[in-house]
Amino acid sequence: MIEMLSSQMDYTNLPVILRHQILMTIGCWFLFNKCDVKKVWAFIPVAREYHISLCADREKDGRVYTILVFFYDLLTILVPFLPKDNLFVLFLLIPIVGIGVAIEIYIIKVYLGLIKVFDKKKKWILAFFFFESITLIIWGISKRFVPGKKVEHIEKTGAKELGENLSAATEGLTVNITDRTVVDFFKKKTLLKDIHMVIPRGHMVLLLGGSGAGKTTFLNAVTGYEKAKASIKLDNNDVYTDYGKMKYDIGFVPQQDLMRGNDTVEMTLTDAALMRLSKDTSVMERENRIAYMLDQFGLTAVRNNLVEKLSGGQRKRLSIAMEFISNPSLFILDEPDSGLDGVVARSLFERLREIADEGKIVVVITHTPDRVIDLFDDVIVLAKDATRTGRLAWYGPVDEAYEFFGKSSMEEILLSINQKDEGGEGRADEFVEKYADRIKEKVG
Amino acid sequence: MTEYKTKHRGRVFQTFIYLGKLFRMFLFQNDWKVLPMAAVIAGLVSFTVGKNLFKTMEGTLMGTFALSCICIWNGFFNSIQVICRERAIVKREHRSGLHMTSYVAAHMIYQAFLCILQAIITIGVCLLMKVKFPEGSLITPWPLVDFGLSLFLITYCADMLALLISAFSKTTTTAMTIMPFLLIVQLLFSGAFFSLPEEAMPLTNLTATKWGLTALCAQGDYNSKPMVSVWNNALKMKDVEVEGEKPLLTLFREIEENNMRDDILMKTGELNQNHDYDFDPRIVVKCWGWLIMWTFVYVMVTVLLLEMIDLDKR
Repeated sequence: MIEMLSSQMDYTNLPVILRHQILMTIGCWFLFNKCDVKKVWAFIPVAREYHISLCADREKDGRVYTILVFFYDLLTILVPFLPKDNLFVLFLLIPIVGIGVAIEIYIIKVYLGLIKVFDKKKKWILAFFFFESITLIIWGISKRFVPGKKVEHIEKTGAKELGENLSAATEGLTVNITDRTVVDFFKKKTLLKDIHMVIPRGHMVLLLGGSGAGKTTFLNAVTGYEKAKASIKLDNNDVYTDYGKMKYDIGFVPQQDLMRGNDTVEMTLTDAALMRLSKDTSVMERENRIAYMLDQFGLTAVRNNLVEKLSGGQRKRLSIAMEFISNPSLFILDEPDSGLDGVVARSLFERLREIADEGKIVVVITHTPDRVIDLFDDVIVLAKDATRTGRLAWYGPVDEAYEFFGKSSMEEILLSINQKDEGGEGRADEFVEKYADRIKEKVG
Repeated sequence: MTEYKTKHRGRVFQTFIYLGKLFRMFLFQNDWKVLPMAAVIAGLVSFTVGKNLFKTMEGTLMGTFALSCICIWNGFFNSIQVICRERAIVKREHRSGLHMTSYVAAHMIYQAFLCILQAIITIGVCLLMKVKFPEGSLITPWPLVDFGLSLFLITYCADMLALLISAFSKTTTTAMTIMPFLLIVQLLFSGAFFSLPEEAMPLTNLTATKWGLTALCAQGDYNSKPMVSVWNNALKMKDVEVEGEKPLLTLFREIEENNMRDDILMKTGELNQNHDYDFDPRIVVKCWGWLIMWTFVYVMVTVLLLEMIDLDKR
């Protein structure tokens, strides 16, 4: 690589560049064969670097490495075409040197990953650093070098779909998500697919799912914060069409306590009230609402304290009060009990139950559901199917969920849908299909 | 079916909500510490370069450069962390209806308040340290006000650049890594203190130091000052011998005896005038215009960057 970097600046060294590229292609051809990567990528510079990082199980580093290599190649191709005494060339040298140094660092990161995957000694990094292409050929051809882990290929087809929208309920939340996709490093990725449900008002719903199952993506899609290909209706009002107005009727409490630590509790709530309440609200009404929130969430005694001085439970309650101050119809909480002990968490969930009983829809993500499961009406189970897409494996009453999954606790349900490489039973697709059949039967 | 006809508070009112927050932070989060820091830096600069400021050409150039550096430093430190340290909170608030224009406007007003105080403190400290100030005014009837406005505009421009960096950076560490780099660029490309190749001169237009330094030199009537560096350098050669004699020493003695030194220094200055620093209100207005233009550009980019805050990964 060192040799490569110094030679690329000048086309008089074209033979050196070509020799390096040919050797890299040969080395990668054999390496990709061992790591179960399509060998054709060995012929395409830049894409080749990304696939080396896949072999090294360093996909994230590989993205940066690939982008750096792309810009480095682009600049070095450009430089020889510019007049030699041009000041612009001198300026181009600054990013070229900077990118070159960064590439060296990423080479070390990626090849250390490759060494780990092949379970070899770290001193091989010197060979990769100084004689990259030759070392790749040796590792590719020699039978002494065997990867401990091959590149995982995600299946193209997942569990079968329901594929039909549910009709909107006059009172409640109707969710019909066709899919939610993102383009991630030039690849289209489906995060959620085929999720349909109607949540009645007054229900407190648990959102259950393993890591990466798309819980937060689902909530963001439902609240209209990150729009999906979907129809989301709250009492027949389209959340996506009227998002600007409806966002005040949807409360979302994030996992972290995102508040300014150096402001007082009362001022934090006052500002939240000013931002979220209608501008027609009188000062008296606003003050009453703030006092009610302080009282309801047990914060009256600490109203003049700085937020940073509050305990974990108090801070969480303040975070909830900030959202609840506008009296939203749909109230969503992402792990409100994280960092709280059992007693404090229980009392928090009891308060959420009271909110639901006021006719609101409360949706909660929690990783310790069993200690408070008696407070929930329904459970939504999201699971990653074979294509690693978040799918609906269950929505319905808690008791029926136990029966459906043949388990006696939420943790066991979670374990049954988690992938095998995550320590689960890997039965997500089975339950997704079973649930789709059940709904088809019900809806007809 | 719920009717969503309620109106929420608009941009102007939101600006005041956030302004209130920022002034509370000024007290509770120790943001006020930038004020004594400005006094300390101004004191150090007055002590080191204040003696010849607005007395000689060299002292004026060095002193105004140092004053511009103070302003850049103050401006950078005022706001380099203000957005990135609460980025997740801003994202949450944006989700709940915060307008980014209001958020940035609140910062602009609050930072303007800090910058005005810092400009006043800097002038106050310089006065205490008996630094000579310009005697003639170009824009307002008061020379000190002209001078203070220049200091404020340089500080504010740097402040808004730092605000942009703070909006761009996801973490305080990133912001604090970018800051020294920008500081170096501001100092190197001031276009006056360091000699730059002709091709690089257009780049000086990008820096607040160039426009600040030019405005301050013009206000200090740089071109009417004596130039001492030529004399001082020539003096170093006084003992050079030519055929057993020291002709330069003889010349210098004669000049001193006839009280011609000051005339020579003034003449040297006259021959080395830089018309970019003429005592002319048009030059000052032009410099202020450039500073305001850059401030405006930085603010616009900051708003655009913050509008994309929802794209932040969780």
